[in-house]
Amino acid sequence: MNSHGVPSRRSTGVPGLDLILDGGLLEAGVYIVQGPPGAGKTVLANQACFHHAAEGGQAVYITLLAESHSRMFGHLRRMAFFDESMIPASVYYVGAFSTLESDGLPGLLTLVRGIVTKRSAGLTIIDGLVSAQETAASDRDYKKFLHELQILADLTRCTIILLTNAERQSGFFPEHTMVDGVLHLTDELSELRPLRHIRVLKLRGSAPVRGLHSVRISDRGIEVRPRLETRLSPGPFEHQLASGPKMGFGIPELDVMLRGGVRNGSITMLLGSSGSGKTLFSMQFLAEGLKRGERGLFFGFFEHPDAIVAKCRRVGINGIAEGIENGLARVVWHRPVEGVIDEIGESLFDAVREMNPARVVIDGMQGFERAADLPERLSDVYSAVAQELERRQVTTLYTTETRALFERDIHVPINGLSAATQNIILLRHVEHKAAILRALAILKVRDDDYDPRMREIRVTDDGIRLLDTLADASHLMAGGGVAGAEQVPRQER
Amino acid sequence: MMSPAPSILIVEDEYGLAELLRDMLTERGYQITLAINGRLALDVLREREIHLVLTDTMMPVMDGSELARTMRSDDRHRRIPIVMMTSLAAAVPSTTGLYDAVLAKPFTPDALLKVLEALARPLE
Repeated sequence: MNSHGVPSRRSTGVPGLDLILDGGLLEAGVYIVQGPPGAGKTVLANQACFHHAAEGGQAVYITLLAESHSRMFGHLRRMAFFDESMIPASVYYVGAFSTLESDGLPGLLTLVRGIVTKRSAGLTIIDGLVSAQETAASDRDYKKFLHELQILADLTRCTIILLTNAERQSGFFPEHTMVDGVLHLTDELSELRPLRHIRVLKLRGSAPVRGLHSVRISDRGIEVRPRLETRLSPGPFEHQLASGPKMGFGIPELDVMLRGGVRNGSITMLLGSSGSGKTLFSMQFLAEGLKRGERGLFFGFFEHPDAIVAKCRRVGINGIAEGIENGLARVVWHRPVEGVIDEIGESLFDAVREMNPARVVIDGMQGFERAADLPERLSDVYSAVAQELERRQVTTLYTTETRALFERDIHVPINGLSAATQNIILLRHVEHKAAILRALAILKVRDDDYDPRMREIRVTDDGIRLLDTLADASHLMAGGGVAGAEQVPRQER
Repeated sequence: MMSPAPSILIVEDEYGLAELLRDMLTERGYQITLAINGRLALDVLREREIHLVLTDTMMPVMDGSELARTMRSDDRHRRIPIVMMTSLAAAVPSTTGLYDAVLAKPFTPDALLKVLEALARPLE
C-alpha cells in the first residue's frame, strides 16, 4: 500500500502490458495467465521474474508438470531479458510436481509457503496450475488452495502469477472467481498469418484497457502493443484547424490553385495510380517546409528512403538529405511485410511526439492495411491516426493508391480516414491526343476556395511544374479525353 | 568376494528427471535412492550408507549448495563425493570448491557414467 492506502503496483517488465493493466499488477495480487501451448505464458512469466529481479526484488519460479528447467533455459537464453547471472541469487527455479504427487495440494502449499518466505519473494510464478486442479479432490479443495495462496500473497506482499492452459472441457473455471485478474493469451492463424493477442478477462480494482491487443515474441522477449485506438494523447478532442499561414507545396501553379496552400493542421489525401507522382509531390511538400525552417517527418512503407532522396535530387527537389542531416527532417520506414499495425501506428505516434513536426507525410497508407491483424479494425485505426495528428495540429499529407491506371470510377480505399480528410488531390494518368500524360486535379478543399481545373504534371530537372495544357479537353477523368468542347457519350466510343 | 554395487543418492526436484536417472543407473547396477530436496537428502544420509550424492542446485526447502555445505561440515558425510547438476553454465566454475564434479544440464548418459565410474565407489 502507498501512503494514501492505495495498493502498490508492480511493473511486469513487459512493454505495453502495464498500460493495459492500469499500471501493472497489484502487490500481493494473485493472477492467472492462461492460454494454449506456445502462446507465450512462460516467456511472459520469466520476463516478469527477471524484470522484478533487475529492480532488486526476489522472484521464484515453481514448475509443476511443465517443461524441464534446462529446456526452459535453453529456449530463454536467446531472449534479451534472460540474465543467467541472476540465477539462483535473485531468480530461483524449483520443481514441485513430485511434492504435488506425493503430498497433494497441502504439500504443494507448504512448499510454496516455504520457498516464498525463505527467499522473501516479491514475485512467484506457479507454472502448470492445471496439474494442481487435477490433483484436487473437488472444486472446493481447489478453491481452498487458491484461497490459501491469496492469504500467503497478502501476508508476504508477494504477487503470485499462475500459468495454466485455457482448454477446459467443462468451460467452467472455478479459479477465475478466486483471483485478482485473468489474462488470456491466444495464438491463432488468420488464413496463413500467425496472430498473437492478449486480453484482460478480469482485473479487480483496476481499469484495464479491454479487448484484444497484439502480442509479439522475439529475441527482445514478449511485447504487448495496446490497440492504437486506445493510445491517443490525453485530453478532449475538438477538431480545430490551427491558425497561421497556409502550407504551400513550393510548386507555384499548385499553390495558386490551392490559394496559397493547404490549411495549417489539415489532412490532405494525395490519391493516384502507381507512377502518377504521389511520392514526388509529397517529398516536394516536405522540402518546401524544410526551406521555411519547419520540421518534417516522412513515414513510408514501400519505396526505400534512400531511393526516394536520390530521386528527389535528380528532379531538383532539394534539401531533404540536408534536412535529415541537420535534424529538421526524419525518415521512418517500415518494410511492407507483415507487421503489427499497432506497432507501426505507435512508431508514427512516437515520432510525431518526439520531433513535433509541422509537416508529416505518410507515403502509402496501404502499408497499414498490410499490417492489419483484423481488417475490420482498419477504419478505427485510421480514425485514431487522423485524430492524433489533428490533435497535435500537424499538417499531414498521405498518399494512397488507386487500383487501376485508368478507371472511370475512382474508389477511395481508405475508410475511416477519408471523413477526417479536409483536402483531396487526385493524380492520375490520362489519355490526351494519343499521349499518356500525368494530370493533377483538386477534388476537395474543405471550407476554402480552390481552382478545380485539371493541370498536366511535368517533372523536370528543376522540379515539378503544372501546365495548363488540358484546358480544352473533356472526359479525361474517365480515362480518355478528347480535345475541344465536343462531348462524346462513353458508350459510343 | 564381489564388492557391493555403489549406492547413489539422487537429489532432484524436477519430476521426470530424477525418475529417468534412477531407471538408467539401476540398469547399470547402481543402487539408487531419490530425494526431492536437500533436507530429505540429509535424512537419507543419516539412515543408510551412500557412496555418492548427485544433486540439483535449486530446490525447495534446502538447495544443493546448502546440502553440500552441511555434508562438508559433518564428519559422517564429509568424504562422500558430491556431483552437482546445473542448468547454469555460469555456475560451473564458481561452485567447484564444494563439489567433486559438476555436470551441466542437459548432459549425456555417457558424461554422467564417466563421472560416476570415477567417483562412486564404496568407502574404504
